[in-house]
Amino acid sequence: MRLFKLAVLISFIFSFQLFAQIENLKTHSQMNLDCKKCHICDTPTKANPCLVLCPRNKIESVRHSPEEGPDNIVLNEIKSEKDLYQPVHFTHKLHAEMSLMAGGCSTCHHFNPPGKIVKCITCHNTERSRADISVPDLKAAYHRQCMGCHKTWEEKTECESCHALNTTKKSKLVSKPSMENVHPKITIPTKIVYETNTEEGKLVTYFHNDHTSLFGLECTDCHTQESCANCHNQKPNFVSSKANEDEHARCSSCHDTENNCSKCHKNELTKPFDHFAKTGFALTGFHATNDCSNCHKVKNKFTGLKKDCIYCHKNDDGLFDHQITGVKLDETHSEFECTDCHAKNNYLAKPSCADCHDDYSFPNEVPGEKVK
Amino acid sequence: MSQNRRDFLKTIAAIGASGTALSAVTPKKLKAGPTNILSDERMGVLVDTTVCIGCRKCEWACQGAHDIEQKDFDTYQHDDTFNKDRRPSAQNLTVVNKYFEDDNPITAKLQCMHCDHPACVSACIVGAFSKQENGSVIWDTDKCIGCRYCMVACPFQVPSFEYDKALNPKITKCDFCFDRTKEGKLPACVEICPVEALTYGKREDLILEARKRIKNNPEKYHNHIFGEHEVGGTAWLYLGPKDFTTDNVFPKLGNNTAPGVSESIQHGLFAYFVPPVAVYALLGGIMWLSKDRDSKKENK
Amino acid sequence: MNHHKPTPINKKFFTPGTIALSLIALTGITFLMGRFLFGLGAVTNLNDQFPWGIWIGLDVAAGVALAAGGFTTAALGHIMHRDKYETIIRPALLTAMLGYTFVALSVSVDIGRWYYIWHPLIMWNGNSALFEVGICVMLYVSVLYIEFLPIVTERFMGKVNLPGILSKLNGVIDKLLRALDRGLDKTMFVFIIAGVVLSCLHQSSLGTLMIIAGPKMHPLWQTPILPLLFLLSAISVGFPMVIAESLSASRSFGLKPETEVLSSLSRFIAPLLGIYLLGKLGDIVIRETFVYLTEFNSISILFGIEIIVGVVVPLRMFLSADVRKSPTGLFIASMLVIFGVLMNRFNNFVTAYNPPYAIEAYFPSVGEIFVTLGFVAIEILLYRLFVIIFPVISIPVSKAYANTKYAIRGVLK
Repeated sequence: MRLFKLAVLISFIFSFQLFAQIENLKTHSQMNLDCKKCHICDTPTKANPCLVLCPRNKIESVRHSPEEGPDNIVLNEIKSEKDLYQPVHFTHKLHAEMSLMAGGCSTCHHFNPPGKIVKCITCHNTERSRADISVPDLKAAYHRQCMGCHKTWEEKTECESCHALNTTKKSKLVSKPSMENVHPKITIPTKIVYETNTEEGKLVTYFHNDHTSLFGLECTDCHTQESCANCHNQKPNFVSSKANEDEHARCSSCHDTENNCSKCHKNELTKPFDHFAKTGFALTGFHATNDCSNCHKVKNKFTGLKKDCIYCHKNDDGLFDHQITGVKLDETHSEFECTDCHAKNNYLAKPSCADCHDDYSFPNEVPGEKVK
Repeated sequence: MSQNRRDFLKTIAAIGASGTALSAVTPKKLKAGPTNILSDERMGVLVDTTVCIGCRKCEWACQGAHDIEQKDFDTYQHDDTFNKDRRPSAQNLTVVNKYFEDDNPITAKLQCMHCDHPACVSACIVGAFSKQENGSVIWDTDKCIGCRYCMVACPFQVPSFEYDKALNPKITKCDFCFDRTKEGKLPACVEICPVEALTYGKREDLILEARKRIKNNPEKYHNHIFGEHEVGGTAWLYLGPKDFTTDNVFPKLGNNTAPGVSESIQHGLFAYFVPPVAVYALLGGIMWLSKDRDSKKENK
Repeated sequence: MNHHKPTPINKKFFTPGTIALSLIALTGITFLMGRFLFGLGAVTNLNDQFPWGIWIGLDVAAGVALAAGGFTTAALGHIMHRDKYETIIRPALLTAMLGYTFVALSVSVDIGRWYYIWHPLIMWNGNSALFEVGICVMLYVSVLYIEFLPIVTERFMGKVNLPGILSKLNGVIDKLLRALDRGLDKTMFVFIIAGVVLSCLHQSSLGTLMIIAGPKMHPLWQTPILPLLFLLSAISVGFPMVIAESLSASRSFGLKPETEVLSSLSRFIAPLLGIYLLGKLGDIVIRETFVYLTEFNSISILFGIEIIVGVVVPLRMFLSADVRKSPTGLFIASMLVIFGVLMNRFNNFVTAYNPPYAIEAYFPSVGEIFVTLGFVAIEILLYRLFVIIFPVISIPVSKAYANTKYAIRGVLK
């Protein structure tokens, strides 16, 4: 029994030490970080941390899925003599989900040294009357964070859309928002037809699915400046005031928009990209869902590849890397010529085993092992 | 019946003496005038119009702090208020207007700018206006005679007059919540602003802060702090996405103080009463001399 | 040469003309009642953008300028001792006195708290041009009243004849008048010089008034030499005002116009106008504001009218001896100078003032116009009343009778 107690004690002490070690790890000064990323002066102290002003989107240490954060938070840190409004019930999870469509957690958690999530109140003073005016107070920090999107989205500044008035007992709001109102999934369009104001080649057919699935682009590669208002603006601005170059900006990082306009600007709708029609090489089977860049390794260079499988699929011995098909040939079979099994070089047809084996047939029997 | 020359000389001498005495006494009195302090510690407000959301809570709070009738709380959020540009008045010492509506809309709060060298303080006939140590430009409404010269003088056209009152019409304008700041409270508008578009602080700190904001967000701000140098500097400073004078948020103003020229002329004309006394003596001399000539003529 | 002596004019007060003027005056008074009962906003077109209208621009600023005849003739007649002009001093003095009284009245009507008009006397602001104007005008009005007192004593000395029980006071009042007369006799020169100094001060400070409006004022008029221009224009409008007024009075009372005195007085006008014109043109050349004249708009037209019709044309007319000798020529030329100065004050205070947030331009309301006209009408009526009661206008008399004191007493002789 005494032994057991001792063991408990020792493990207790050890666990503490372990804890302390974790704590030590959290001291960010011992981490491999660039001090100048957050501090202006050479020797920051606790009294004067000389932090860079509002380091928005500079420190991306906070990356979580929306589920990891809290569902709802009541923002009630600010109190004054006579509060006009009741505290806001902030639907954190809902907002976190929405933020994924823009900048992620750092849209709001703009300054967070590695480690725990820093609460707003840590940096933002609850008192408006204060010495350091370079950091907005908490009330301002909250409102600026919220109004940044809400104002551009709704073009309204109605306080009651978030707060309940303190005088009215009955709040217009559902004081505890349910999690039902999660942002609906955004549907990805397959194609968008742009009608331009050019005389020749009025139509530009844009195949959105090709760009995302085939060309290997991330959403944020094109959607750089997205905000809620882009979809939720009540007064959408259809007349584009941008100059000609700006219209092409999204395309010009890959396409040459200076010359050969007729490549995109056509008088009728274009068909989706057809690899077979252009090159005589049909993208079927595994190739159908392959990113362009998997084969066309050099960016923006799409010529020079040969149709022979071995041109891309070559193993270390200079032979066709059969493993790519999902079947790793055993030693015996790897000695054969391709045509021994694939009659007349037709690789789409079922390979024949009958020349050597009786009663064998692919895929019941495999000349090696399946790798996928 | 007419005077003799000795009498005349005596009187002239007496006037000269009293003039000199007057000039010895008055300078202090003249300089005393209204309080006009330009303290290094003076306070100000930095208005960041890029942050302002146009909720007009400042108008509501201002009315409350100055015992002006407040309208229905909900009506302050009506967007149609922005359809026309309003000006500060007795009912609204501060107003929020919308500007640059075509491409880059901002909302901006307008009120007295509390100039470092206020034209109203210089102009007021009874010296009712004063510039206080904390930067506020306030006025003593009991002294006011209602001449409205302050309105003529103000480069920002801020003071407003109660034209509809037959008795005791008042000049009204923002007083920088002088009564509240005396007690250590914030100005009512600064206190209520949800986004702290209004930052209260020492004027020199505010300028540094404004410069920092411009430096950190050069694409967000027009590189100019309105009020840093305009009319010799104002306590209220403005940041915005564009040049404010292009949409008449503020008029185009130089950096010379508003009362500068006027005061130097005024003081030149009256430099310790020397010019008036000199003119008096000169005219007396001419009168005496021409009298002399006339009597000679008569003697002939 | 005929001898002249100031004498009360023996004419009826009521004529078709005075009745018409009385009607205008009554209309003005009606609007004034509206102003006092319902506030400035009820009668005027003034607002927060245009705090000053024609009550300041015309009634006060132009009123002060047009009353300049008082100090210019005093300077000429009393200080420089040009005795032949003495016949015009009293009418000029009466005009100035009435003019300044109505300036003070106009100010009281225009300020929001008329009952506090005495505040500047005890609440000083040495930096304020308006304070300077206010104090000088108050002092000068007092000086003008003092200068007029001998005319009152002259009229009533030995003629005090109160009715009924008050007749016992006749002797006392007579003695008082005589004592006052003697006292004023000895000290009058002090007031005369003071009047000229005070006039120079506030005529120029009236120009300083609008300088503080800075960029709100159109550059054609906004200049640091405004005080000088105001003083020069006031000096040059003094004599034309006296001439125009003397000629109209002669005509109105059926007297022979004093063409000889007036035409010799008019010799001074061309040089004075010339100096003013030089100042005005020099200013727009040096500050290069003439560029605004190339734009053809209401501003440049009003400036053109002010300079050409109001200064250049009368200047040319006063240079011609023929014009100076003819009463009609004198009258027209003088009226043009008066019009020019009137325009100048109106332009400075109304046309040039362009506030930053004005929605629509200021135009005087019917009420403002009628109050202004009413004041002018009352002024003319009072002038008529005064010259009927008091010895103001000089008329030809026999030599022996004429050998009494002229003008204001107390002047060294």
